[in-house]
Amino acid sequence: MILIIMLLLPLITALVSGLFAQKRVNEIITVTGSSVLFVLAVWAAHAVLNAPQHILIALPGWIALGPAGAVILVLISLIALLSSIYSIGYMRYDTNSPRTFHVNFNLFVFALAAIPLSINLGMVWIAVEMTTLFSVLLVGFDNTPSALEAAWKYMVLTMMGAALALFGILLLYWGARHANMGAFTWSGLVTAAPSMPPVLITAAFIMLLVGLGTKIGLVPMHTWLPDAHSQAPTPVCALLSGIETTAVLYVLLRVLAVVHASNSVHASNWLLGFGLLSLGVPAFLLLQVKDYKRMLAFSTVEHMGIILIALGLGGSAANQAAFMQIIGHAVTKSFWFFAAGSVLLVTNTREIASVHGLIKRSPGAGIAMLTGGLAIAGAPPFILFFSEFSILKAGLLQSHYLVMGLTVSFIAVAFFAIMNHVSRMVFGGDPDRSGERLPGSVWLTLVLAIIPVIVLGLYIPDALHRLVELAATIIGG
Amino acid sequence: MIKSIIFNSLQVIVVMVFSPLAMGVLNRLKENVQSKRGPSIFQPYLDLWKLFSKDEVVSNESTWIFRVTPYVVFVAPIFVTLLIPVLTAYPLFWAFMADMVGAGFILALGGFFSILAAVDTANPYGPMGSSRTRMVGFLAEPVFLIVFFTVSFVADSTIPYIVQQQWVHPMSNFFEPAHILLLIAFLMLILAEKGRLPVDNPSGHFELAMIDESKGLEYSGRAAALMKWGGWMKFFVLMNIFLNVLLTPWGLASTWAWGDVLIAIPLILLKIFGFIIFLVLIESSLAKLRLFRISEFMTAAFAIAVLAMMAGAFA
Amino acid sequence: MSHLIPVIKSLNALTGGLFIITAFGVVAARQVRSGLKFFIFQSLCLASSAFLLGIAPFSPHLFAVGTINLVTKVWLLPWLLIRMMPRTTYTRREIKQVVNIPTSLMIALILTVFAYFVSLPWVHAMADNGVARINVPIGLAGMLIGAYTLTTRREAIPQVMGLLTMENSAFFAGVAIAPDLPVIAELSLAFDVLLFAFIVGLVTRSVHENTGGTFVGHLNDLREDPSK
Repeated sequence: MILIIMLLLPLITALVSGLFAQKRVNEIITVTGSSVLFVLAVWAAHAVLNAPQHILIALPGWIALGPAGAVILVLISLIALLSSIYSIGYMRYDTNSPRTFHVNFNLFVFALAAIPLSINLGMVWIAVEMTTLFSVLLVGFDNTPSALEAAWKYMVLTMMGAALALFGILLLYWGARHANMGAFTWSGLVTAAPSMPPVLITAAFIMLLVGLGTKIGLVPMHTWLPDAHSQAPTPVCALLSGIETTAVLYVLLRVLAVVHASNSVHASNWLLGFGLLSLGVPAFLLLQVKDYKRMLAFSTVEHMGIILIALGLGGSAANQAAFMQIIGHAVTKSFWFFAAGSVLLVTNTREIASVHGLIKRSPGAGIAMLTGGLAIAGAPPFILFFSEFSILKAGLLQSHYLVMGLTVSFIAVAFFAIMNHVSRMVFGGDPDRSGERLPGSVWLTLVLAIIPVIVLGLYIPDALHRLVELAATIIGG
Repeated sequence: MIKSIIFNSLQVIVVMVFSPLAMGVLNRLKENVQSKRGPSIFQPYLDLWKLFSKDEVVSNESTWIFRVTPYVVFVAPIFVTLLIPVLTAYPLFWAFMADMVGAGFILALGGFFSILAAVDTANPYGPMGSSRTRMVGFLAEPVFLIVFFTVSFVADSTIPYIVQQQWVHPMSNFFEPAHILLLIAFLMLILAEKGRLPVDNPSGHFELAMIDESKGLEYSGRAAALMKWGGWMKFFVLMNIFLNVLLTPWGLASTWAWGDVLIAIPLILLKIFGFIIFLVLIESSLAKLRLFRISEFMTAAFAIAVLAMMAGAFA
Repeated sequence: MSHLIPVIKSLNALTGGLFIITAFGVVAARQVRSGLKFFIFQSLCLASSAFLLGIAPFSPHLFAVGTINLVTKVWLLPWLLIRMMPRTTYTRREIKQVVNIPTSLMIALILTVFAYFVSLPWVHAMADNGVARINVPIGLAGMLIGAYTLTTRREAIPQVMGLLTMENSAFFAGVAIAPDLPVIAELSLAFDVLLFAFIVGLVTRSVHENTGGTFVGHLNDLREDPSK
């Protein structure tokens, strides 16, 4: 029941905010809705831990929530809540219709929440497709030519990926029907996988990897990502970059479980290949990036690469590390986007070269930017340091020396590039003029968002740890 | 056996006699579609009569090729007629002398000689038309080959009499994609090979824009008559291959009785007139392609032929 | 009913052949309007394949799929695309493309052959001698051709045609290999496509207003350019 409420809640808030044209009312509705969603999600995650077989079922064969889905759902609702608070201050002077923004925002959250909540593959595909549909208007929200270009590229490329993924899902259905599976769900597929022809599973996996990979932003298919993630309004960027990519990655992860279940198909080389490519290429692109929001976007691609490498290594240690990396990336990247948005508010430019001396001009934005940069680049004591370290450890224990060597050097290049840009923005030169004050809600978001980034690095709550352990077991392999 | 030879010769006579009529009907219908009265459908016969009773002029500069060509062009379709089913659904005396590739070769021989003859005269338009014809021919040849490959994949044979039975036994074969795609590709080939719209405008009188017609400009009198008649027969034979071998064997005589074979003649003419109406519709609704667009037209034909082959080979 | 099956099979194969030709047409179309016509015909082929496969064994799902296709892709979607786009999109002019038409057709052919070689092992592995033999390779080929169209076209509507070709191809394979996929999914899928066209319309309209054309190839301000 709670799952259905969680699914309907963003829809209802979208509907209600569509009724009002006043900015203030819309903001209150969205923030309230997101807070309720967050509380419900945490509660549901807790219920998953205590449920029999760790799964909550609302509609057998259609809607259910397992541990992996719970992790993603909590992240979605957390970032949705933070973004909704942030958008109050960020969109203060925006002249576009607040109604359009809030309706689309809530619909986008609905589509995102539908991904972990649905277990029927057809439904999951529809949910992924819906995230594109509802976010494309948000990407083009500024209505400038470059925002529209970004929206166009985003839509065309991800739709292309969606079509490929659909083909992959249909192939899986074909195989599953052949193996006399009951319902077309994740668990049904895992049971059916051993009696499906390996060549079919391989084909379906490659199509889903490429198709969903387009949406995740894996390297040859990543070209839309820096554009969309840099042109969208910052609260949307946080959702796009922080959680949309990971939510789709979650789908890939469930597909991977099916592949692992079949025993005769080896996905790991594909994952390692795409992972290294997605880590290496943006690491070097980060060196010459000119726009700091694009820098954040490239760092997303890079982190998706790291997660893919972890999944490619296989084994429960690497899988757990992958989940920690997913959590760490989601909270850190959204925080860093909020910081970058604050810089944009203060300086009104997206060029790295024209931002100097942030620490003097606006200490809040400066410190946030610096912390975010350190955290995302993988400096201790932040969460990403620990997750990357565990991936490294898992890889070395499995004697993947070459892969790990490349991973470490790419991460080092990215670290250098990010810190180079960030330190120039924060410390270099004197400010042109003294800064403007950041709105209160922006401050509030920055403070709220930094809590998990720091806390999770130092201490992981026991419940979360158990959830991650359980989530890692569903991948198998 | 005697009957077999007689029927085979009857086919030749039918082709010789009725090919000008088919042309006349085609020209008349085209004019009618354009709201003109048009010439009589028997005009081609009158043209032939007129040309045969005129004197012939041959350039001093030309060689024996120029004089031999009309006969080659005239005889080539007659040889092909011996190989293909025009009236009967069963093989006749010379049916196994050559297959479809052989028939294509004989037709191409006529085309080859007419090209040589056009170059042989010093007329500037002849070589121009020849080189254009060759260009279309170069593009058409791979399509021809693929069409033959497809036929041999599907029917395990390239003997026309065997191929034609394949499409209707069982009836569901008629709707095989290989069959339909083959028909489309071959239709495009006929249009290109015989210089019909949209590849070439057969009724154009502007020498610079001509592809097919410019090759016969230098001929006069009896030679011109033979060239024209040969061209019409080639068209008639190609239509027969399309309708009887590739489309359906319906309307052909299936027994050795004289009555059956004779009744097949009007049935065949009916089929051909039906096809001519279709051709008129195509020609009246399309404009001539620019010369360099012809390669696109032929590539499309090639693509369709390859698809037909794949549909035949993988089905 | 059973005596009809061979005829149904070969009719389905015929729609497959025509389907792939229309995919070639979308690649080669020189004008926006003819590309749209090819797409409509393609959707018609998809719908008729769904109807044919729905006859025997009887499957109401496939009839629903066919009907949905007929309504949305043959009628509603082209109507929307024509209504929403500025008139100049459809005037008789040639679309710019990166690769010339004969080469494009050849590449599409190579893709088709490739699709056959890749997908026939699946069909063999599934020991499925039914309609999957026709529909899966053609679906995969259409998929690749659609993706190719998408990368070589530089205008909004032709790109959308490529995208929809991919979607159609996925369903063309789908009607053969997943005939009992619950229809609610199908409904929403069609709904998706419609909504998608709506958004495409909105976006390209704004692109048109902002840049004065549906030539999205001009939109290349956003990229990694060291000189910038």
